[in-house]
Amino acid sequence: MSTLTALARAIAADTGAAQPICAVRHVHIGPRPLVFIPLALAGEANAPLAAMVGDDPQAPVLLVVPEPRDRDQRFAFAAELSAIVLSYIESHFAEEEPVGGRDPGTRYADAPQLLVPNPAGIAFTRLLGRSTRFRRTEGPYAVAESVPVLGRWLTFFADRAEHPGSSLMVAATDALAAHWATGQSSLEDGNLGALLGWIDPPPGMSGAQAAMEAEDPVRCPPAGPATDPTFDNEILDQRILAVRTARMTGDGRACDRAKAALTEALATQLEPTWALMWRAAGVLRRLPAGGHVRARWDADKAAFTWHAQHIADGGPPQPRRDGAVSAARRLANAERVQEMVAAQRAFDDPLVMAEHRLAGEAFAGQVVTAEPDRVDATGRRRVLRPRITVETEDDMVAETSVTLTSPARPSQKARVVDVTGPQVVLELQGGMGRSLTPEPGSVPAVGEPVCYAAFSDAWQPPPAFPEPEDTPWTHGGPPPEYIPSDEDAREDWS
Amino acid sequence: MTESVESLERHISQLRTAVREAVLAGDRERASALRRELRQAEQDWDEALARAQEAGAGDREEAGREVAGREEAGREEAGREEAGREAPGQDRGGAVLAGPANAASARAPQPPQAPLLPLREQVHEALSLLTVPAAPRLIATVHEAFFAGTFPTARLTSMKRDEERSFRTAPFARPYYVCAALTADLLAPARGLLAISTWPMERRVIGSLSPRVDFLTGAIRVAEAIERLPAPVPAARRLLWRFAASIPGAAESAGNMHPHEVTQAALAELAVHQAADQATRHAAARRARDQLDDAQQLFGTRIQLAGQRAQAKGGR
Amino acid sequence: MNRTEARLARIRGRALAKTHNARTIAALASNPGCARRAILDAAGADKQRIAAYAGFPAPFGQSRFALARGNAVEAQVKADGAAELLTLLREHLNLPIPQAHYDDLSEVGGNTSLDLRHARTRTLLARAAAARTDAGTMFDHPLLRLEVGGRHAFLEPDLIAFQLHGRFTIVEIKSFPVIDGQADGAKVAAAAIQSAVYVLALRDALAEQGLPAEAVSHETVLVCPRDFSSRPVATSLDVRKQLTVLRRQLARMDRIDDLLDLLPNDLTFDLDPDGDGIPRRSPAALAGAIRQVDARYAPECLSTCEMCFFCRDEARGGTAALGRDVREELGGVEHIETALRLARGARAGNDLAEAAELLRTAARLRADIIKEAV
Repeated sequence: MSTLTALARAIAADTGAAQPICAVRHVHIGPRPLVFIPLALAGEANAPLAAMVGDDPQAPVLLVVPEPRDRDQRFAFAAELSAIVLSYIESHFAEEEPVGGRDPGTRYADAPQLLVPNPAGIAFTRLLGRSTRFRRTEGPYAVAESVPVLGRWLTFFADRAEHPGSSLMVAATDALAAHWATGQSSLEDGNLGALLGWIDPPPGMSGAQAAMEAEDPVRCPPAGPATDPTFDNEILDQRILAVRTARMTGDGRACDRAKAALTEALATQLEPTWALMWRAAGVLRRLPAGGHVRARWDADKAAFTWHAQHIADGGPPQPRRDGAVSAARRLANAERVQEMVAAQRAFDDPLVMAEHRLAGEAFAGQVVTAEPDRVDATGRRRVLRPRITVETEDDMVAETSVTLTSPARPSQKARVVDVTGPQVVLELQGGMGRSLTPEPGSVPAVGEPVCYAAFSDAWQPPPAFPEPEDTPWTHGGPPPEYIPSDEDAREDWS
Repeated sequence: MTESVESLERHISQLRTAVREAVLAGDRERASALRRELRQAEQDWDEALARAQEAGAGDREEAGREVAGREEAGREEAGREEAGREAPGQDRGGAVLAGPANAASARAPQPPQAPLLPLREQVHEALSLLTVPAAPRLIATVHEAFFAGTFPTARLTSMKRDEERSFRTAPFARPYYVCAALTADLLAPARGLLAISTWPMERRVIGSLSPRVDFLTGAIRVAEAIERLPAPVPAARRLLWRFAASIPGAAESAGNMHPHEVTQAALAELAVHQAADQATRHAAARRARDQLDDAQQLFGTRIQLAGQRAQAKGGR
Repeated sequence: MNRTEARLARIRGRALAKTHNARTIAALASNPGCARRAILDAAGADKQRIAAYAGFPAPFGQSRFALARGNAVEAQVKADGAAELLTLLREHLNLPIPQAHYDDLSEVGGNTSLDLRHARTRTLLARAAAARTDAGTMFDHPLLRLEVGGRHAFLEPDLIAFQLHGRFTIVEIKSFPVIDGQADGAKVAAAAIQSAVYVLALRDALAEQGLPAEAVSHETVLVCPRDFSSRPVATSLDVRKQLTVLRRQLARMDRIDDLLDLLPNDLTFDLDPDGDGIPRRSPAALAGAIRQVDARYAPECLSTCEMCFFCRDEARGGTAALGRDVREELGGVEHIETALRLARGARAGNDLAEAAELLRTAARLRADIIKEAV
C-alpha cells in the first residue's frame, strides 16, 4: 500500500468506479488457460465436494463427489480431475522452441496456466497435491495411475504460485486487485464478484452498486472453496442425505435421481463463478502487457519444461518438508526475484514507477542541458562520457556518485555528478555504441522527458549455497533420500 | 391435491431459497415458518411420487426386481417387502421409493436390519462380550465386528428411558434390562454409558479411574474374542487397533498387532489401577444397595433442585 | 444488582442476556477501542438480532458440516474415557501411568444447571490441587467463570488436565488440521487467545483457594487432526503474550462505567416485542439508538462482529472503512472527502499540513501520468 494506491482507492470510493493503479498488465494471461474452481466440504482438511474445470468458456466440466467423506470417492474424483488436467498439460508437449543464451537447448513453446478464483483456491490445490502425490498405484490402497502424477503437477503449480513474477498459477482476485483500486477495503476485494463489480460493472450500475449486489450469497455464490453456510444447511445437507439413502436401499433409479439433484444444486454454486473467471481473464487481457512479462513467462516455460522432464525421468515427488539447504536457497531466491520483479514492474509501468518516485527512489523530469559528445581524457584511454542536466520536481535524495538507471535506456549507467536544487547532473556510460561518438538517440536530448531510478532490472546471480549433500550438521545434515513408503500410500484421507 | 411431482419439486426449490434468504436476513421467525411450509411440501412430494409410482404398475415391478437383484442391502429390503411389513410409499426412512430426505422422517437413513434380533438384544450381545459398561458408539462397533450388522447409534438414545419405563411398569419381568451405569459419587446415571442389569452392582458403578479400567478390560475381551474367531474379520481387527493404539506397549502398528500382546499390555496397566478402582467401586456399590431402591439401582437417581428433592426420595 | 448492572440491563432491554464465551471475550481484545461493541457485549445484547432488525443482517453462519466435523473430532478424542487424549497427554505432558482419572463435569447427577456444574468443577479442582494422592487427571467439560465488564461469564474449556504435584493445563480440541507439522496461522492464533481466556478463568478460580497463578501452566495444549486423517496430534501453545493483552483489555472493560457515563440514561436497544414476540419499535428508532454509541469500524470487523454491516454503512466516506493501512498512507486524514480536497490543493491547517503535502504530490504524480485531474 502506498499513498498513490491509497489515493486511488479514495478516488474510487468517491466516484463509485474502480481506478487503475497500473498502466500495463504485469501478469501473463494465456490464450487458453485452464480455469479450476474447487468446492470443499466445510470443516474437513481437504475434502473435495465438487469442481468446475475447463479451458473453454463454453464447455465447463462439472465433477461431483456425492459422498465427500468416502475415501474411494475422493480418489475417483482425483482420477477424473487428473484426466482433464493431465490432458490439458500434455497438450503443451506438442511444440518446442529453441532457447539461446548460456545453456542453449529447447523448451516447450508454451506452458499450461491454471486460473483459480482466489488464494484459498491455491491453498486447496496445494493440499490436494499433497494428499495425492505420495499414493501408490499398486498393492493395497492402490489408486489410479494418473492420481500421483496429478498430485505432483498440482504441487508444482501451487509452488510456482509462490514464486514472485510467475504466472503459471494465478488467483483471479490477486491479479485483478494488483491492477485496480476499488472503493472498498482489500479484505472485501477478496470477494471475486464484488471486485469484478467495481472494475467491470454491468451497464446502468455503478461499480459500488454492482459490488453490493455481489455480497448476497444467494444471488452470487461464494467463489469457493468454502461454500455458503446457508447453502450447506438448507440445500446441500438434504441432497447428500438423499444420495446416501438411495444408495443404501439399492434403488438404482432413486440413486440416479438423487445424484442428479445434488449435481444440479452444486452447479448453481459454480456456474456464476465460472462466468466471473472468464470475465476476469477478459478484463485483464484488455490491458496491454508490460515489457518484461514475456521474459518472466519464458522463465515459467523453462520451469514447466524442467518439471515435465523430471517426471518423465522418474524423479521423486516433492518432499513433505524442505531440507535446510533447499529451504534457505528457496528463500534467498524468492527475495532476489522479488526485487527483480519489482524493478521490472517499475520499468514497465509509469504508475508503478511513480510509487518509487514518491518514495524518493527515483525521479523524472526534463533534460535542460546535454553534452552528448563529452569525452573523459583523464584516464589512460579516452572514453565517451556524455553529461546531461535534468530538472525535476520530484524529491529524490540523490547522492553524488550513486549509479542510476533509466527504463528507456536500461543498459546505460548514469552516475550522479551534482545535485543543485531541482537540477541533477548525470554522467552517462554505456549503451551508446563502441566509438567516441554516441549513436543517434542513445543520449537523451534537450527537452526529452526522462526518468532515473536507483535500482535496475538487471539479472542478479543467486548467492552461493552448499550442495544438499553438504548440508552442515547444524542444519540437520544432508536430507534423506526419498524412498516411497507404505505409510505414504496408506496415509489416511478420511 | 393433484399437483404434479415436477411442480412440487419447483415449489420445494423455491422454498429452500426463501429459507436461505430469511436466514441471511436474520429473520428467524420467517425462517421457521418457511421451514414448516417446506416440510409440508416435502410430504406432499412423497405422496405425489407414491401415487405416480403406483399409477405405473409395471414400473413398480421393475423397481422390485431391481432391488431384489442387488447384492448388498437390497436383498434385505426385498425381504422386508415380502414380509409385508411396510407398504411402499409409507416407509419412513428410505425404502424402495427413496423419497427426498424428508425432514419429518428419521434423520439418518435406515440401513438394512440385521435379520431378526431386536435392538435391545443386539445391545445385550455386544455388552456381554465387553463385560463392561460402554457408550453406544463402541457397542455398535463391537456388534458390527463380531455379530455382523450394525445399527445407527441414534436409536440407542431413548433405550435407557424405554427400559426404565418398562421396568417400572413390571419390575424384573424381563430376564435382563439395558440399564445405566451409576457415578460413584452421586449415584446418578453416568452420561452416555449403557450396562446390563444382571451385572453385579460393582460393575455398574463408575469411579474416576473406571473409564480407563473398563477400557483396558474391554481391550482384553475384544482380543480374546478375536482369538476365538475361526477366520480373521477386518472390522474386528480395526476395533482391536482402536484399543491397542491407546495402550502403551500393546502394538507397534495396525499391521503388526497380536491379540495376546494387546492383552498382556492391557493387563500390565490394569495392575496399576485395579486396587484403587476396586476400592471406589465397592464403596459406591455398598452405598447404592443401602440407599437406593431397585429402579434407582438400575437407572440411577438425579439431583433435583430444592423442592423437588422430597419427591425423588419418596419413590421408595 | 449494582448501578452498573442496572444500567446495562436497561440498555439490553427485555431480551435475555447473551452469555459471553471464550470466542466473544477473545474478540473483545481485537478491537478494544470500539465503545459500541464494548457496551453491547457488556449489556449481553444479541448483536445478531439487533443488526438484522436495524436492516443490516450479519454475514455469519455456521455450516452444519463444519459443526458436525468439530463434534466428531472432539467425540473421537474423548471416547472411551478419553483414551486417545490420554495417550497424547501421556506423551506430551509426561503423565505417569497411574494418573489416568477421568471426571465428566458436563452434568451433576443428571442435572445440567450451570451453577451446579460450576460449583462441582471448583470442588473437584480444589481437591485435585490439595490432594496428596491421585485425585483427578482429566476434567471433561469443566465450567469456569470469568468476570467481564461487571458480569460473570460461564466458560467451558474442552478439558483441563492435572498432573499430581504439578500444574493444571488447559486442553483445547479443534477440527482444523495440522499438515506436515503446519497449521493455518490465523486459526492457531484464534485458538491461542481462546485458550488464554480459559487460563485466566482457571487462575482466578484457583486464586480464590490461595493457589498461585503458576498453578495453571501458561502453555496450553492444542489437539488437532493430523494431516488428512482424524487421528489427533497435540501441540503446545505458549500464551503468555495473549494473557498480557487479555488482562489489559479486561481491565479496560471493567471501566465500563466510564463509557456508560457518556451515554443518555434512557438509552436502550430493546425491541419492544408484543405478546407474540413481534418487535414494535421501528428499525429507524433502533438504528438511532445504536448510533448514540460511537463505533470504531475497520474492515477486520467483517470477520469478527455481527454489527459489521451496520457500522460499515455508517463509516462510508471515512478512510477507516478502506483499511487502517490506507488511512495511514493518506496521512491519517479521516474523511475521504478531505483527502481528495487536500490532494486537489486545498489549504490545510497546521495539523494537516504534512498530509496535504503528501497528498498533493501523489495527486500531481498520478495526474501527470493518467492525464486526468484527481
